[in-house]
Amino acid sequence: MNLSRLGLPHLGLGVGLRSPHYPYLLQHQPDVDWFEIISENYLDSQGRPRAVLEQIADRYPVVMHGVSLSIGSCDDLNFDYLTKLKSLARFVNARWVSDHLCWTGIAGHNSHDLLPVPLTEETLRHVTERVKTVQDVLERPLVLENPSTYVTFACATMPEWEFLGRLTEETGCGLLLDVNNVYVSSINHDFDPVEYIESVPHDRIVQVHLAGHTNMGTHCIDTHDGPVIDPVWELYKLTHDRTGGVSTLLEWDAQIPEFPVVHQEVLKARRYVGEIDVDFESDENNSVPETSSGRILIPQPAVFVSAEVE
Amino acid sequence: MEPQRLDAIQRWMMSVITHPQGIEEGISETTAQREFAITPGQIEDLILPSESCSSFQRLSVYNNAYFARLIECLTSEFPTVKRIVGDDSFAAFVVAYLRQSPPGSYTLGDLGRGFAASLRATRPPRKPDNPGPDWADFLIDLATLERLYADVFDGPGEERLPRLSAESLRLVPPHQWPHVRFEFAPSFQLARFQFPVQETISQIRSGEIASIPDPIETFLIVHRRDYIVRRIPVNAIQYRLLEELHSGKPLAEAMGASMEEMRDDELVSPVELQNWFYRWTAAGLFIGVSTDEDH
Repeated sequence: MNLSRLGLPHLGLGVGLRSPHYPYLLQHQPDVDWFEIISENYLDSQGRPRAVLEQIADRYPVVMHGVSLSIGSCDDLNFDYLTKLKSLARFVNARWVSDHLCWTGIAGHNSHDLLPVPLTEETLRHVTERVKTVQDVLERPLVLENPSTYVTFACATMPEWEFLGRLTEETGCGLLLDVNNVYVSSINHDFDPVEYIESVPHDRIVQVHLAGHTNMGTHCIDTHDGPVIDPVWELYKLTHDRTGGVSTLLEWDAQIPEFPVVHQEVLKARRYVGEIDVDFESDENNSVPETSSGRILIPQPAVFVSAEVE
Repeated sequence: MEPQRLDAIQRWMMSVITHPQGIEEGISETTAQREFAITPGQIEDLILPSESCSSFQRLSVYNNAYFARLIECLTSEFPTVKRIVGDDSFAAFVVAYLRQSPPGSYTLGDLGRGFAASLRATRPPRKPDNPGPDWADFLIDLATLERLYADVFDGPGEERLPRLSAESLRLVPPHQWPHVRFEFAPSFQLARFQFPVQETISQIRSGEIASIPDPIETFLIVHRRDYIVRRIPVNAIQYRLLEELHSGKPLAEAMGASMEEMRDDELVSPVELQNWFYRWTAAGLFIGVSTDEDH
C-alpha cells in the first residue's frame, strides 16, 4: 500500500456510508475501496446502524468524519464526546478521524451547522490549543476539513488557506480538502479557488472530498444532492497534481440515488488522475444543478438515520 | 467599534441566526445587542458583503438553514405528525419547540427527545363541553409513539442475546410457576395511548389517507427484533400483567396485582394465560426466566 500524508494510507476512491444504501451494501458487498461514516450517527447507536457498521468495517477500510466536534467554539470541549469518538475509532479500526474547521454552537446550544470562524490571530491561537487537546485525547492526528461558508467577518486578517496552513504547522494536524467546498466558498467570497488550492500545504492533505452543490445565481449552497460539476473536477485534478494523489471520497446526502450511481460518480475521478480512461453511460447530469425545484435547499450536514418499523 | 472577540462574535451570531423572525429582528434582540450594540444598518461592521450578496443575504443562509435542517430532521422522526397537521403547522410546532428547548446534544438523534413533551406543554386548553381526549391529545400520542420507535430502533436490543424458547418454559416445573420471574428483552417497551395511534401510523405509512380516529384507550408493546421495530397490541389486562412482570414481580404476584380489579367475566383461564406467554415468548419479548430457587 502506498503510504503518504502524515503516514496515512492512500485508500483509493470511497463513498460516504448512508443508511438508504445499507440493504444494497449488505446484499451485494460491492467492490468499493473504502467508506467514510458520519461519526455522530454511530457513537451511541445500539441498533441497526451500529450492526451494519460492524459488518462494513469487517470488509472495508473505514474513516470517521464528524460534524459536532466544534473545534472553533468558545464552549469547553466535550470530553464525553471525545471519549466516545476514540472508542468508536477503535471499534471500526478507523484509518483516521476528521471533522471541520468550524464551530457548531455556543453556550450549550448546538446549531447542527458548520459555522464559520473569524479568520484572526485570536481564533488561530484558540483552535490550535483545542486541536492539540483533541489529538492528545484521541492519541492520533486530527484531520480538519475546510467547510463551505456563506459569510466572511470584517475582523478577518487572513485567508482560509493561510489559516489552515499555519494550523497544520502549529499542531501537526492533517487536512481534508473538500474541493467542492473550495469552489462553493470561492463563489460566495469572490476568491480564486486555484489560488486556494495552490496555497494550502499539499503535504498535509490526507483526504479529498467531492460533492455536488446548488448554484443559486448569486451564491452557491453546499447541498450534496447531485453529481460533481466540471469546475470542481478541474480543482480535483489540480489537487491530485499537487499532492500526487490522496484518498478521495464522494458525499451524496440529499436526493440520494441508488448506490451504484453514487459509486460510479466517484469512479469518474479516475479520468482526472490519468489512471484509467473510463467510459460512463451518460454525463447529462454533470451540469450545474437547477437553482430551485420547489424544495427547500439545506446546506449539509443534515444526515439523520430514521427508524425502521415493521 | 470595540475589538471583536471570538466568544462575543459566536454568541452574537448564534443569537441572530436562530431567531425565528429572521436576521434583522435577531440583530435587534437583547441577546445579540448585549454582544454588539449595532443596528441592522451597521451589520457590515461585523459581516462583510460579497460582490453579489449583501451581508443580510449572506447571514440569512445560516438563519434559513438552521430551521430548515432541524425541521427536516424532525420530519424524518415524526412523519405522521407532519402528515396529520400539514407542513406549515408542523413547522410552527418545531419552531416553538426549538425556541423552548434549543438543541444541545452532539447528535441529531437527540433532537426529537422532548418534542411530545413540548406539544403537551403548549397544548390549547380543553373545551369545557368536551373534557375527553381531543385532537391535541391525539397529536401528543402520535409524537410519543414515533419517538418511541426511534428510541427502540437505536437503543439496546437483544439481537446478540440468547432468546427464551418455548421449550425452556415447558421445563419450568408446575409448582415453580407462581415464582417465575421473566427477564425482558432490553428493547421491550410498554405504551399506553388515548387513541389507536399505531393504526394511524400504519395507514399513513401504507399511503392511506388517515383522519383523526375516535378516542379509545390503546395498549401497545413496542420492541425490536432483528434490528426492526415491532409492535404488538395488547389488552388492558395483558398490559397490566406485563407492567407488573417488567417491574420484577414473580408471576403469581404480578397476576394478583394486575387482575385484582377484574370483573368475573374478565377472568383469564389458565389455557388463555399459557397461550399469551407462548405467544410473547415466540415474539422474543423474554430472554430468560428465573425462580426464587435460582437466586
